[in-house]
Amino acid sequence: MTTEITAEISPPAADADAVLADLTGMLLTLLEEYGLDAAEIGRETTFHGDLELESIDLVTLSGALRERYGDRVNFADFIADLELDEIIELTIGQLVDHVVASLRATERS
Amino acid sequence: MTRFLFVVPPLVGHINPLVGVVGELARRGHRVAWAGHEGQLAALVGQDATVFDCAVPSAELKRPPELTGPAAFRFLWEEVFLPLAEVMAPGVEAAIGAFEPDVVVTDQHALAGALVAERHGIPYVTSASTSAEVVDPLAGMPKVAAWLSGLLDELRARHGDPDATGDPRFSPHGILAFTGPELVGDAAERHPGLCLVGPSIAPRPSASDFPYDRLDPGRRTVLVTLGTANADAGARFLAVAADALAGLGDRVFGIVVDPGGVLTDPPPGVLVRSHVPQLELLARGVDAVVCHGGHNTVCESLWHGVPLVLAPIRDDQPLVAGQVVAAGAGVRVRFGRVDAARLTAAIEAVLDPDGGHRAAADAVGRSFRALGGARAAADLLTAVATAPRPVSTPA
Repeated sequence: MTTEITAEISPPAADADAVLADLTGMLLTLLEEYGLDAAEIGRETTFHGDLELESIDLVTLSGALRERYGDRVNFADFIADLELDEIIELTIGQLVDHVVASLRATERS
Repeated sequence: MTRFLFVVPPLVGHINPLVGVVGELARRGHRVAWAGHEGQLAALVGQDATVFDCAVPSAELKRPPELTGPAAFRFLWEEVFLPLAEVMAPGVEAAIGAFEPDVVVTDQHALAGALVAERHGIPYVTSASTSAEVVDPLAGMPKVAAWLSGLLDELRARHGDPDATGDPRFSPHGILAFTGPELVGDAAERHPGLCLVGPSIAPRPSASDFPYDRLDPGRRTVLVTLGTANADAGARFLAVAADALAGLGDRVFGIVVDPGGVLTDPPPGVLVRSHVPQLELLARGVDAVVCHGGHNTVCESLWHGVPLVLAPIRDDQPLVAGQVVAAGAGVRVRFGRVDAARLTAAIEAVLDPDGGHRAAADAVGRSFRALGGARAAADLLTAVATAPRPVSTPA
């Protein structure tokens, strides 16, 4: 399953716009039946209120992130660090920032 | 003869599994009483039962339909279960004083039962009416788990034994779970004292005017139900389901349960009823159930070997649905987004004998029945009553 929602192969870049495009591609595939348009997903889009993602979707998304970025991005750690209120309000932009920070941290090391 | 007090929240799905357990204990000569919402209990457990009334915030759980996911989880604890414990505690206290139980059996979400019992030094067994709590759903979210333990600690400080430790949803004396290993895997390793007894299927009062003559041996029977707590949230889904069933009309006889009367113009050929005698229908032969993943509907279907299409709405439902899919006994669709074409495909998938869903549901059903249900639950409860008690200090 997870291979289907991997973005087009190109070197992962620690660039917020590129990461947003990656994540958008993963979400469009994951939520294929919603018939969403890429323009409907942006930094302010919320995981729960807007996209109605369930825990099983987060597991799939986590797999897609691993396929794309390898061990450099740890989605489980990102979620584990959130309070309940933060999980409720979680936006795509926050995940983009986490991915970018993770990629930059590994680039520096 | 042992005296058992059953403490329950005002939620039908949490009470139904215990009705069979109470019946079994009574058959064995034990004294049994209930503490909960008196009016609701009278309808569910019979007029002859001993019931101690507890105040409850309201007889029904009301939430906006759009409240789902982690927001629904926060609401459920902050606005439902914790206030419920506060208002039920005096009634539980009075019931314990009047009935003098040897053992308290308390639903996991009727926390007043666990806390007041522990303060009195009375052994209590928690009843898990869903297979979701026992699989540690907050394992990946330690900050959320800590938030909930903080709330439970505050509640214990007010109503329980302040020196007690541990999660009051998981009694140290024993935990009854009306599910089986096919759904919850190795949950028993995480919770010592967890006893998987399988579903407790007891005959219950039901409307007897169902038009059984409409059942058609030449077509497969598909039942669509969203349970007792989702009438307001289900209008769109039920309309989609009725359309899907109508489209399958030459092969499928569709029954839609619509307690809220939201299907004002159902397609011809689909039977729409405000209530159905679910257990009797399942026993007569239903080929697939389309539901929201409510634990009792899921377990009753699997008990009868019936595969499922699951459209979870919130709470434990996504987890229960995931467990059924993992067991191979069902297919999942998105409650808020599925259309008639996708729902039709899901129904056809579980009806197709080559898909293996029916065989998997049969296997889970056989395993469930072997676990013993209400009899096994009664065995555990009587064992707790005679077990050496941990030394405790009554309040």
